Amino acid sequence: MKSIKIKADNLNVYYGEKQALFEVSMYMEEKQVTALIGPSGCGKSTFIRCLNRMNDVIDICKVQGKIEIDGNDIYAPDMQVEQLRERVGMVFQKPNPFPKSIFENVAYGPRIHGIAEHKSDLEEIVVTSLKKAALFDEVKDRLSDSGTSLSGGQQQRLCIARAISVNPDIILMDEPCSALDPIATARIEELMGDLKTEYTIIIVTHSMQQAARVSSRTGFFHLGKLVEVDKTEAIFSNPSDQRTQDYITGRFG
Amino acid sequence: MSEHIVSSYDEQLDLINSTLIKMGGLVETQLHNSLVALGDKDTAFAEEIIRDDNKIDALEKEIDALTYKVIAMRQPLANDLRTVLSALSIANDLERMGDHATNIAKRVANVKINMPDTPVSEIVNMGENVQSMIKNVLDAFVQKSDKLAITAWDLDVNIDELYLSIYRDLLKTMAEDPDTITGCSHLLSIAKNIERIGDYVQNIAEDIHFITTGDALERKSEKRIKWEKV
Repeated sequence: MKSIKIKADNLNVYYGEKQALFEVSMYMEEKQVTALIGPSGCGKSTFIRCLNRMNDVIDICKVQGKIEIDGNDIYAPDMQVEQLRERVGMVFQKPNPFPKSIFENVAYGPRIHGIAEHKSDLEEIVVTSLKKAALFDEVKDRLSDSGTSLSGGQQQRLCIARAISVNPDIILMDEPCSALDPIATARIEELMGDLKTEYTIIIVTHSMQQAARVSSRTGFFHLGKLVEVDKTEAIFSNPSDQRTQDYITGRFG
Repeated sequence: MSEHIVSSYDEQLDLINSTLIKMGGLVETQLHNSLVALGDKDTAFAEEIIRDDNKIDALEKEIDALTYKVIAMRQPLANDLRTVLSALSIANDLERMGDHATNIAKRVANVKINMPDTPVSEIVNMGENVQSMIKNVLDAFVQKSDKLAITAWDLDVNIDELYLSIYRDLLKTMAEDPDTITGCSHLLSIAKNIERIGDYVQNIAEDIHFITTGDALERKSEKRIKWEKV
C-alpha cells in the first residue's frame, strides 16, 4: 500500500442546524488520485473543502472530528491556515483566472507567499508551472495576454498552473472538467496522470467514467455519509453496497 | 432489481435478456428434436432439424449486435456490465450447444448408417438428462438465481457418468460384433456431442454466478470420473 497523505477521522460538519457530513472516516494515499462521487448535495464538496479549511470562511459552518495531513491535525489551534492553503491547492468547477495577464495569474501566488526572491526566480516558477500544467507551449508567446482570453480548457490548465505555482503537496479538484468539452477534458485527465507523480490529487466528479479513468481509489457519498470507499476497479465492477451499485448504474430513485 | 432512471436503457437490457431466453429455448428444442429423430431414426425429421440451426445462429448475431450497441451507448457498469459481457459469452455457448445438437441430427440424417438399438435408447436417455440441465440453467438465468445455477452445474457429473457407461457399452458391442463398428462410431460421436452440451451448460451456470456475485465460480465436482478403468 502507498503511504497515507490525508486521513479524515469521524468528521461531522454542520451548516448551522443542518448536518452536512456524518462521521466520515477515510484516508487518501500519497501521489495517487482519489475520486469522490455522489449525487448533488451528498457532501463530497463539503468534504474536500474541509481539507484546506475553505469552510472556515463560512460563519455558520462547524467542523468536528479530525483531519490529518502527514499526521498533523489541520484543525489544531496552532495550524497556520495560510500555510495549509499553500500546501493544499484547489481547482474549481468553472475556470476562474484573475482578470490579469497569463503571467500574473501564475506569479500571483508565489509573490504573495514570498516564494520568489528575484524576478528571475519568479519567471522560472511561472514557466515551470505552465509546463507542468501542459499549457506552456500554447501560451509561451503571449504571456502578457489576459488569462480570460484563453479557451475554457486552457483557462482550467492556467488555474492548475496557478495552483501548483506555490509548490503544494495536494491538489483538490472540484469538478474540474464539468465546463469543458471532451478534448479539453482528456487533456486535463492526461495532465492529472502526470501530476500525480508529484502531487496527491483529490477530485470530485459527477462523471463515473472520469472517476474510473483517473483515480486509484473512489469514495461514494450519499446524504452526507461516506457509503463506501474502495479501489476504483472494485467500485465500478462489483461495489459492496447496494446504494453504490444503484448510483453508478443509473438506478438511483 | 430496481429500474434505471433512463427507461430506454432498461428496454435495451430487457431485449438482450429476452433474446437470450428465446435462443436458449430454441437450443433446448433443437436437442429435444434431435433426440426424437435419433430414437425414431427419422431421417426426414433430421433434415428439418438441420435447417433449424440457422435460427439459433441468427439469434446469436442479434445478441452480439444488441450488446455492442448497449456498450457503445450506455457504458454499463457493475452488475449491468457483468450482465452485458455475460450475454455475449452465453450467446456464444448457446450457439455451440445448438451446433452439437444439430450434429446429432446430421448423423441421423445419413440413411446409410445402421445404428444398433440398445445403445441408442441409452443415448436418448442421456440426452434427455442434458435437456433438463438446459432447462434448469435457463430457469436460473431467468430468475438470476445463483442457487439454481449451481444446481444445474452440479448435474453435469451425472452426464459424465452416463457418457462413460455408454462409451464402455459401445466398445463392448464393437468388440463382440465388428459389423456394428460404423454405427457404434457414429453413436460414440453423438454421445460426445451430448456430453459437450452438458459442459456448455456448466459454462452458462458460471456466467450466471458471475452476473449475480461478481466472482468466478470456483467449484469442483464431488465425483471424478475414472477413465483409467475403461
